[in-house]
Amino acid sequence: MTAVLQILFDALAVGSIYALGALGIALIFGVMRLVNFAHGDYIAFCVFAMLVPSTDVVAIVLIGKLPAILLIPIILLIGAVISVLSEMLVFRHLRNANPATMMICSFALGFVIQHVLLMFYSSRPKAINLWSNLSLPVEIFGARIPLLQLLTIIITFVILVALMWFLKRTRYGLEMRAAAEDFTMARMLGVRANRVIMTAFAVSGLLAASIGLILATQTGVADIRMGMPIMLVAFVATVIGGLGSLPGAVICGLLIGAASVLLQVFLPLDARPFRDAFLYSAVILCLLWRPDGIFAPRSAKQRV
Amino acid sequence: MKQPQSVLAKTISTPVILIALLVVIAILTALFGSGSFARTVTEIFIRVAFVVGLYIFIGNSGVISFGHAGFMCIGAYAAAWFTVPPMMKKVLLPGLPEIVSNAQLPFLGSLVLSSFLAALVALLVGLIMMRLAGIAASIATFAFLAVINTVYANWESVTAATSSVVGIPMVTGVWTSLFGASAAILIAYFYSISRWGLALRAARDEDIAASASGVDIYRQRLISFVISAFVCGMSGVLYAHYLGVVNPDAFYLGITFISLSMFVVGGMSSLSGAVLGVVIISAIIQILRWFEKGIDIGGLTLELPNGIQEIAIGVVMIVILVFRPAGLLGKREVLLKGWPFKRRTAD
Amino acid sequence: MKTTKKLAILAAAGGLLLSANAAMADDIVIGMATAQSGWMQAYDAPARESALIRIDEINAAGGLLGRQISVVEADTKTDRAEGARAGLEVLDGGADMVVVSCDYDFGAPAALAAQAAGKISFFLCAESIKAGIQGVGPFSFSASVLAAVQGATMAEWAYEKKNVRSFYVLLDTWIEYNKGICDGFDWMAPSLADAEVVGRDTFVNDDASVAAQITRIRNLDPQPDAIMLCSVMPGAASVIKQLRAAGITSMILNGSAVDGSYWLDSVPGLDNFYVPVQGSIYGDDPNPAVTAFNEAYAERTGAGPSTQYTYPGYVLIDVWAKAVERAGTLDSAAVVAELEKMVDEPTLFGPRTFNSEIHHQNRGRYLISEVSGGAPHIVDEWTISEPIPLEALLK
Repeated sequence: MTAVLQILFDALAVGSIYALGALGIALIFGVMRLVNFAHGDYIAFCVFAMLVPSTDVVAIVLIGKLPAILLIPIILLIGAVISVLSEMLVFRHLRNANPATMMICSFALGFVIQHVLLMFYSSRPKAINLWSNLSLPVEIFGARIPLLQLLTIIITFVILVALMWFLKRTRYGLEMRAAAEDFTMARMLGVRANRVIMTAFAVSGLLAASIGLILATQTGVADIRMGMPIMLVAFVATVIGGLGSLPGAVICGLLIGAASVLLQVFLPLDARPFRDAFLYSAVILCLLWRPDGIFAPRSAKQRV
Repeated sequence: MKQPQSVLAKTISTPVILIALLVVIAILTALFGSGSFARTVTEIFIRVAFVVGLYIFIGNSGVISFGHAGFMCIGAYAAAWFTVPPMMKKVLLPGLPEIVSNAQLPFLGSLVLSSFLAALVALLVGLIMMRLAGIAASIATFAFLAVINTVYANWESVTAATSSVVGIPMVTGVWTSLFGASAAILIAYFYSISRWGLALRAARDEDIAASASGVDIYRQRLISFVISAFVCGMSGVLYAHYLGVVNPDAFYLGITFISLSMFVVGGMSSLSGAVLGVVIISAIIQILRWFEKGIDIGGLTLELPNGIQEIAIGVVMIVILVFRPAGLLGKREVLLKGWPFKRRTAD
Repeated sequence: MKTTKKLAILAAAGGLLLSANAAMADDIVIGMATAQSGWMQAYDAPARESALIRIDEINAAGGLLGRQISVVEADTKTDRAEGARAGLEVLDGGADMVVVSCDYDFGAPAALAAQAAGKISFFLCAESIKAGIQGVGPFSFSASVLAAVQGATMAEWAYEKKNVRSFYVLLDTWIEYNKGICDGFDWMAPSLADAEVVGRDTFVNDDASVAAQITRIRNLDPQPDAIMLCSVMPGAASVIKQLRAAGITSMILNGSAVDGSYWLDSVPGLDNFYVPVQGSIYGDDPNPAVTAFNEAYAERTGAGPSTQYTYPGYVLIDVWAKAVERAGTLDSAAVVAELEKMVDEPTLFGPRTFNSEIHHQNRGRYLISEVSGGAPHIVDEWTISEPIPLEALLK
């Protein structure tokens, strides 16, 4: 029983980070059909924002030293700002472009962010020590899990609930859902496109920043490429969840995390290095089973 | 009454011009370029072959593929399997089947065989994946790339895992790669004016109408997937024989994204766009690199800090796409008639 | 179209402008094809700097064979193809010897170019057996010590000095270096009587969490005496943090790649952590000359070395210059012959041995650095009891 519970917690701990990432990707995709490859770089950017720009090896933590009550809002704000800025500077000018063009632009933007960070901080990973007492383990029904992982799981669910409430109960949320369903129609019915899109970008940036905070606390390291693997998994989760379906993205993020933990646990040692090959084969099978995604909204049916 | 011209006669100038452009670059390089500049040009030509391979599938089907670097990987490793001296292979890659580890093929043999291997893999995975459309297909191709990368990065006895495979004869130079790029352009051209190419483009633009007219979209996608994998595999072989070293990491996300970017910047639905996208972006990169090294202009040395080149190229691509969302050429092709550009009637 | 042609012509014309830094006609030229940008830069730059320190020393002492040494450089931009070009560029610039990027994968293209031109090449700090005869050719050398030696050193030292009897192996499959450490460990472990490997697991450097791997260790009863971690930054710091956070207090061993105190803030108060190093950057090296070097380095660059990977750059110029001096010529074959005669040739950072089979160190003296209370310091010195045979390295 304890073993099962432990696996469940481990799976949730990995999965909830993916879920947060998938949510950030799915939000933007919902309103403007953009697969935002720069999302992973927002994550890294938020983490590096805690440090003083310097190519020295020893990192000088600046705003990362602030008390949590200040640090968290500032980092979240930075995430939102860089996300909204990229909308205003880049994506706004591509409203009528095809999805491939937007995707490549987002990739180019991520590339720029990455190399700007590289220039200001050099490539060596930097140490960040945030809230080290969060790393202490707690025991739940015999399963031990670091407090931070428990918090990550809780935070994910809180964010999810808050977002659901926001989408279902507020005017912005309503507009956003309408825009996700049918953007042109929503505009005709008086939804202000720019405002909806900006809100989506802001929320997506907040999510990226919160992943950054969680990762920095968990790993203690700032690395320029740290957001990339999460972004890729999140991207996959968004698609197999059903593009445009936020709960679908979240559930699939959790599922992929869980699958990866289960494979790690049950594969024999010799096959363990091939874990990701099994994982992605499963993704292909999943797509064949439900090409429109497991939780595809009816409106998302694609032609060709 | 005048006979209507055939598609071939109307459009043959496109590949001719494109190849002529590459030949001009090659001749100029041979006449004036330094050894290291020749390497740059070789790499550009290999990239042209790869991106033209992308065009064959993506340009004609409209489905973005993230997976084609996987075919490059397959081609490059196959080239290593066939051409590394058997003595070395027995030590470094003990898992290879006897017949492969004893073989040491000449370059051309390895080129053909390895490209066919990439095409064969494409046929097998395509049989499954080409049932998918749109973004689901894109994700499936990405998953395919991740699987290939994981397998090649961990299959110790056959690919030497993350360790580089060395001992591949370094025979790809400017002329070899020019040959490869030209072959890729010709294959792409003849495919795109063939019955198959036309059918697939019809399905790309109007799937329901195409289906109703008897186009088997699945089959057409599969054909183009296999041909494009062949070309991408070939570019992988050229790359392996160019660098002399292969490593799975060289065929993963980095090359996927930069090549896709060049392709989209050039114009996704155009063969000329694929070629020019690579040539233009590569030229800009090269010029920026010279600036990084410092260039003397009338006694003044202009020098950019290292690392600016990557930032600048990202910005340049964004700016190009903002002003030309369909890429530099959009759907147009370079043609001799109606110079400079004319909408291709075959489309 | 027109612009394209113009660009192409411009590009071709630009090729003409390319000229390497003019060196004095009778200078000995060392070509450096290393990463000055991209992520390898952080690893190449310090070793390159220390190579330059040794070159300056030689020049100040009257040069080599009575000639001054000058340097031509090219940036590999952490790109394989660009690395090959950089190699050619420095060769065009008249390089008599080529120094290539630290990592085998990124340095090999330039080293192959040097090999093809009949010139000697040295990897700044590659630690794979391929960085040498096996992966480049008879004119290629590496200045560092094989990764496998690091794994073997930690295994034997922990067994002999820390009485470790049960090991757990945690391998990061991300890059070849990691596998090299674990291979060395696996070569050594069977020869340690009554020591046991109680479990193994793998992960990938960029895994967001290693929760499942940690649970597997925690389920062991009793806990292993030591965990042989084969990983590099940033994953290594992350895993160490997560291991300690999960309450696993076993001794942790790793290779030299995690030397340095710059990352220790990630795991405040880290204890019971050991790595092998070629020299101490912490000012407590048993050899005072190393500390003097650290000061010279700090004077030159503004800060002391941040990891032990600064040192091999110095070593490579040192051994190469000695070989040139002994050969009395720059002729590659003659210099290689002299290098291959070196047996336990003393250098500032441990002895070096080359022979006609291995242009690398399959045995080496290592200092053992311990991190306790979050601070690293040197606690011991170890040389493995016998060199690792070539067959085990090639596997």
